[in-house]
Amino acid sequence: MKFWEIGKRNLKEIYRNPVLLGFLLGMPVAFMLVFVAATGGGQASPISMSIVDEDRSQNSSAFVQYIGGVDAIELNDPVYSEESQAQEDLDEGKISFYLLIPSGFEAAQQTQQTVNLELIYKAADPMIGLQLKPIIEAVGSEFLGVAPALNVELKGTESIIKNPAVNFYAPGIAVYGLMILISTAAGIIAGDREKGFLARMFTTPVKPSDFILGYSLPFIPVLIISTLIYLGVGMALGLTVVGNLGHAFLIFFLVGLCGIGIGMIVGSLVKSESQAGVSWLFIVPAAMISGAWFTVDRMPSVLRSVAEALPFIHAIDASRAVLNGSSFSAIVLDIYWLIGWAVVLFATGIVLFRRTMVS
Amino acid sequence: MNAVQAFKLTKKFDSLVAVNGIDLEINKGELFSLLGPNGAGKTTTIRMLCCLLKPTRGTASILGHDIVKTPFAVKEVIGVSPQDTILSERLNCWENLALIGKVHGLSSDTVERRSKELLETMELMERAKDQVRKFSGGMKRRLSIAMALVSDPQVLFLDEPTLGLDPQARRTIWEYIAGFKGKKTILLTTHYMEEADFLSDRIGIIDEGNVVALGTSQELKTNIFEMRCMVVSTENITAEVMADLQSKYSRLEISKGRLKIYHKDLDFKGIVDYLHSRGVTVYSAALEQPTLEDVFIQITGKKLRD
Repeated sequence: MKFWEIGKRNLKEIYRNPVLLGFLLGMPVAFMLVFVAATGGGQASPISMSIVDEDRSQNSSAFVQYIGGVDAIELNDPVYSEESQAQEDLDEGKISFYLLIPSGFEAAQQTQQTVNLELIYKAADPMIGLQLKPIIEAVGSEFLGVAPALNVELKGTESIIKNPAVNFYAPGIAVYGLMILISTAAGIIAGDREKGFLARMFTTPVKPSDFILGYSLPFIPVLIISTLIYLGVGMALGLTVVGNLGHAFLIFFLVGLCGIGIGMIVGSLVKSESQAGVSWLFIVPAAMISGAWFTVDRMPSVLRSVAEALPFIHAIDASRAVLNGSSFSAIVLDIYWLIGWAVVLFATGIVLFRRTMVS
Repeated sequence: MNAVQAFKLTKKFDSLVAVNGIDLEINKGELFSLLGPNGAGKTTTIRMLCCLLKPTRGTASILGHDIVKTPFAVKEVIGVSPQDTILSERLNCWENLALIGKVHGLSSDTVERRSKELLETMELMERAKDQVRKFSGGMKRRLSIAMALVSDPQVLFLDEPTLGLDPQARRTIWEYIAGFKGKKTILLTTHYMEEADFLSDRIGIIDEGNVVALGTSQELKTNIFEMRCMVVSTENITAEVMADLQSKYSRLEISKGRLKIYHKDLDFKGIVDYLHSRGVTVYSAALEQPTLEDVFIQITGKKLRD
């Protein structure tokens, strides 16, 4: 039980350090509040849209009216009749994009030809195009009565999930937040190495496994409390838990363990607390390719393969699925993947730590 | 069996030879000091003996346990107070002592009893429940030594135990260490010659990774440094007189009116008479025991603090 003694020491060192403790427990609250609020989680603001109606027909007016009736869109007044005016306002930054309904809109609709719409935005702000294209396509198809190429039928959950944005972002943010334990755990080991405390402990009869377990131990309560905070704040901000909350907790706990395991590896490899910052080179790209902040459905297959080899995308996908109502059997492979990773990471940590005990 | 035995112990860092094939034999219950300037190889030697560094060549054993083959067994019988006072800053004295005691496998009762004894011995009981980050350097140093002792080790390594302390705090630590003489085998490193002189049963003088002299303080001063030293407080000594003395005696030093004359057979009366005859004022004259600093200079040709 030597690991317990080292763990107790580390627990006291962390919990008696108000700055570190504040960071560890305050970060989940801050993350959820900031991320969910920034992504429109609580009360999503409608998209402010300007329109140029060059067709000036009955149908084009009806289409403009139809768009104005969509909850997610707020129409700017007035509707431009000349594109040059809209272009001028776009150049001056008064508007960020506009939808052009070209001449021939009504004629094309009546003769059942392809109806063309143009979404004009500044090339320097490509996200607008990416965000709006599917919305315009959906609204246009519905107005024109054209069947979309892919019919996505939503059953059940849509009516239960109060705010799909929160249900999408909260799991990703929680996993990203837990990934930060990599940096904290690595920093604590590296700090003790830098100060010489580890060298002192290496003169005592303690095995590398005791050190790794002893340094991981204080993060278990942090992990549990952080997970509860992520879920609690998420629910306060509108996260709808359709599936089993316990399963979601298990996923977050396991991915947190993986993070601590990676922290043990980084902490074994670096020599100073400042060098532990190198873990951010892993955390941010891994979070990105794992879909912590946005969907990675269209990610290149090579990156997708890399992401799928890591534990984080499994945690994000599985937690989103289970919160939206998936059963345990649907996520069981992800759970196994996470457990496997946790075992491998801790074993690697012990091997690497052993090497640092004598130089 | 010796408590500590090293044979051709060598450590190289790339092209730098930090410890160059040293041989050591330290008896059980002996307090042995490695005396040498910074960078001489003292800490590297201790780090090898404590199993923190793997020797490049040679071997060593602690109470018969090989430092490379059976490091775990070595760690069970040693206590170490490192050069930098390394403590868990947000833990109090009891908790720091308990950590080391428990990882040595001691029961809670034993840890508590030994901690109480050590805190009383080191005069830390009054502040025992305070977090140690609030302690002075001397208090931290005393706690660090107590931590090295809490497991009741048979062999104690004290790496520069008074480094950076004021003279009074240094003297206090010396008294604590002296209290363990004969009860523990102690290997102490220092670059303070007074410390080695005051505490040690034997001293090894180390320079550039080599043990260049070995013996008791007295042996080093008399056997190795065979000269005697006469100190004369004087003024108006001329260059001519100095040159004359230089030609007759092995070594001369003059600083702030103190003339030091080193030679194997010193003619005390003859020197005083000679100075008087040359019109030099002599306020006092005495024969002085050479210091370990003198020994070090004699052997290495440089000062300990160079």
